Amino acid sequence: MSRPFPYAYISCPCADTPVPDPARKRRSRETSHKSNPEDPNAPVPQDYDFEDERTFDPRSPRSNFSLYPPEQLLYCEDCHQIKCPRCITEEIVCWYCPNCLFETPSSMVRSEGNRCARNCFNCPICTAPLAVTTLENVTAGGSQQGPWVLSCGYCMWTTLDIGVKFDKPTNIRTQLSKMTDSSRGRQMSKTFSDLKSPLSTYSSIDDQFPLPSEIRGDETNPATEQSSGPLNPEARFQALKGFYKGQIASTSSSPNDPLADFGAGFSSPGALNRIMSLYTSSSRLGNLYGGTNKKPKSKPPVMREALTTSEGLRVPAPDTENALIRRMASDDCGWDGMASIEQRTFQSPDARFVEDLLPLPVLLRTKRSKRCKSCKHILVKPEFKPQSTRFRIRLIALSYIPLPTLKPLVPSPFAGLPSVTPAAAPNLDALSPLKTVQLLLTLKNHMFDPVRVTLATPSVTPGRVASKVTILCPQFDIGANSDVWDEALQGSSAPGDARASRSGTLGSTEKVAEAGKVWDKGRNWTTVVLEVVPGTLPGGGATRRNRMKQHDDDNDDDNDDSDADSDANVNALDWSGQTKDPNQQLQPDEDVLEIPVFVRMEWDSENQIDQEQSVGKGQNSDTVKRELAYWMVLGVGRISSEMGF
Amino acid sequence: MPPKAAKGEYIETDTGNKISRRSQIHGTQHIILGGKTVIQGEAVIRGDLYRTSTSSSASGDQGGQQQPATSTPSVAITIGRYSYISKQAILRPPSRLHRGVHSFYPLKIGDHVFVGERAVVEAASVGNHVHVGRDAVIGSMAILKDFAYVLDGAVVAPGMVVPSWCVVGGAPARIVGEVGEGYGVEGAEGGMARERYRLVGR
Repeated sequence: MSRPFPYAYISCPCADTPVPDPARKRRSRETSHKSNPEDPNAPVPQDYDFEDERTFDPRSPRSNFSLYPPEQLLYCEDCHQIKCPRCITEEIVCWYCPNCLFETPSSMVRSEGNRCARNCFNCPICTAPLAVTTLENVTAGGSQQGPWVLSCGYCMWTTLDIGVKFDKPTNIRTQLSKMTDSSRGRQMSKTFSDLKSPLSTYSSIDDQFPLPSEIRGDETNPATEQSSGPLNPEARFQALKGFYKGQIASTSSSPNDPLADFGAGFSSPGALNRIMSLYTSSSRLGNLYGGTNKKPKSKPPVMREALTTSEGLRVPAPDTENALIRRMASDDCGWDGMASIEQRTFQSPDARFVEDLLPLPVLLRTKRSKRCKSCKHILVKPEFKPQSTRFRIRLIALSYIPLPTLKPLVPSPFAGLPSVTPAAAPNLDALSPLKTVQLLLTLKNHMFDPVRVTLATPSVTPGRVASKVTILCPQFDIGANSDVWDEALQGSSAPGDARASRSGTLGSTEKVAEAGKVWDKGRNWTTVVLEVVPGTLPGGGATRRNRMKQHDDDNDDDNDDSDADSDANVNALDWSGQTKDPNQQLQPDEDVLEIPVFVRMEWDSENQIDQEQSVGKGQNSDTVKRELAYWMVLGVGRISSEMGF
Repeated sequence: MPPKAAKGEYIETDTGNKISRRSQIHGTQHIILGGKTVIQGEAVIRGDLYRTSTSSSASGDQGGQQQPATSTPSVAITIGRYSYISKQAILRPPSRLHRGVHSFYPLKIGDHVFVGERAVVEAASVGNHVHVGRDAVIGSMAILKDFAYVLDGAVVAPGMVVPSWCVVGGAPARIVGEVGEGYGVEGAEGGMARERYRLVGR
């Protein structure tokens, strides 16, 4: 419901495909049970058994995950299926900075911490991009020299606020990282001084980090240890990581892989053996289980914690907390001096005040190619260059399925009811209940084969607000997407008229929607008329409910199934569990009139696989009959609570 | 769907531009329209804010247009084909204080661009198939690449670059998502420019 009315969403069948794994199906039933604990008799679980016969309910919680705007869907030519973002896998083609649009080679991405290594920074206050500006306001002719700062054009923050100036306008990130290390007056220990960028919190340290043996070497040398001051958080993290790696390596019984990942030493079967031996070798248990026969094992070495600053230990000064609190309470800090939680999430954990915030190098973005999850065929492959908008492969659903567009049909003053004022387009944001609206549904074919389309819709929309829907011409053909000039030549007599009727603004003067006839037809598009009677909203008052009841009775006469269906949905509707009395209150967006439409398309496509065999077998064998069926949801508008007679 | 305008609201030029009589266009000699462009009523297009060639005498305040135009009229605003400027939108060339001189730079808008109602565009360049939502503000010298999508009410910070296919929203705007691969296909979302053009003035 993020788009203005009218809209059309297409349901990806992946949400409805029966899951082959019975355990998963059971789980989904359980979760559906869990979602409405107050109503154990909800018929939701039964619905899953009749997946195929079930009418698609745009209001069901599951629909949220299957409805997509048509342009977001892909199509796999191998599976002959629509593919939504959930049925694809992605592979990164390239990394680029969204600010300078330069590509970062994949080998550099990790060491740069997934951030731009150039001059691109985001404001730590408001996240807007920062610009490099000079402080010297030299007039024309003057040389552009002098200190440079990063400034935000949105909130007017500059690096001067944290007392940072740059000597040159290039390589700001390296300058900044140097400055933040030194300006905070912290000498890094020798081991970590070769780090490229302490700013990169997420960078991998594995390759840069020294062997644990070196750390232990540091340990033995108390002189360097004393001289090294407290580390900045990134270096401290690395120190701790290295320290624990060393500890794992030294305490594990088989230190064959000292550079293994952190958890590997513990999750390995060797570690399990060690834990088990803890139990068996303990004297009491050992006695119980007859362990006295076993040789007493050597006691496993015990891991210790970091003890020195070079190992990553930081002992805060005894009055740090008090000093912080005093600073917060002081007048020159105040609320504005405090960094917000949002701001702090991207900063070092010690940053509490606005002065502690550092400019953030811009996070990189990626270009990705997409593959079908089931057959691994590539569906989308963009060009490698970050700036290019072209695709090498792009199999979008719009080239295969007809593009649906919905327009209200403006009732003409001549053919319609005699009205004083010229008929205006119905206000889709406030449709009056029980007043018939006619809509034009245009399906545009982008394939090079003509398509036969069958539309089906429940006569009454699912949900409590039961609107009647009739497709006046549910079966029709759409022409092939052939040469554009064909239309121009054919429709030269009245091209304006054809277009106008498509848009529904003109041409309706002579036309009246007729059952069984298409409204209009073009080279590769066909328009049919939908007749919709919006239902009444529940809980609007006694009279309205009576009317609703009458409406329901009408339905009863028409169609028993639909009535039962809507009744079931009334029961199922309080899934949100927010309202006390669901009969009285309107659920969010329950007044939105959405029509589920089942689209089934058939076409003859050229047989590409066994072309050689089919040669000479007549015309029919050259082509293969294909069909595709899917649900689509048309968002017509919002039903107003007032009767508009 | 635009409401039916009074007869003759739009002036249609030789190249098919449809320009509302109620729009406010300043400095027409500094504006280039690519053809089939729609400019709706009460839209403001500031072609008078063009870059003066001699920077020494230009005043720092709005414009400096008291200076006579040089022999080659500089272009302030370029708009491509099938672009659509909605009601009360403001197009204003970006400006910058450079070496102590406040000067304007040209505003380039590509093809099939949609600028929503009451939006303010001060970008340096707007690519093709860009959507600028209602009430959005595009800051000075911002760059919107092809197929960028600015949500309603977003404030794109000055100097920001919005990469292709990216959706930005919020104030200040951040990249919040990407449009689908089918965006911009004729007739679908992002490809309605011709249809929009057709409906204007009927």
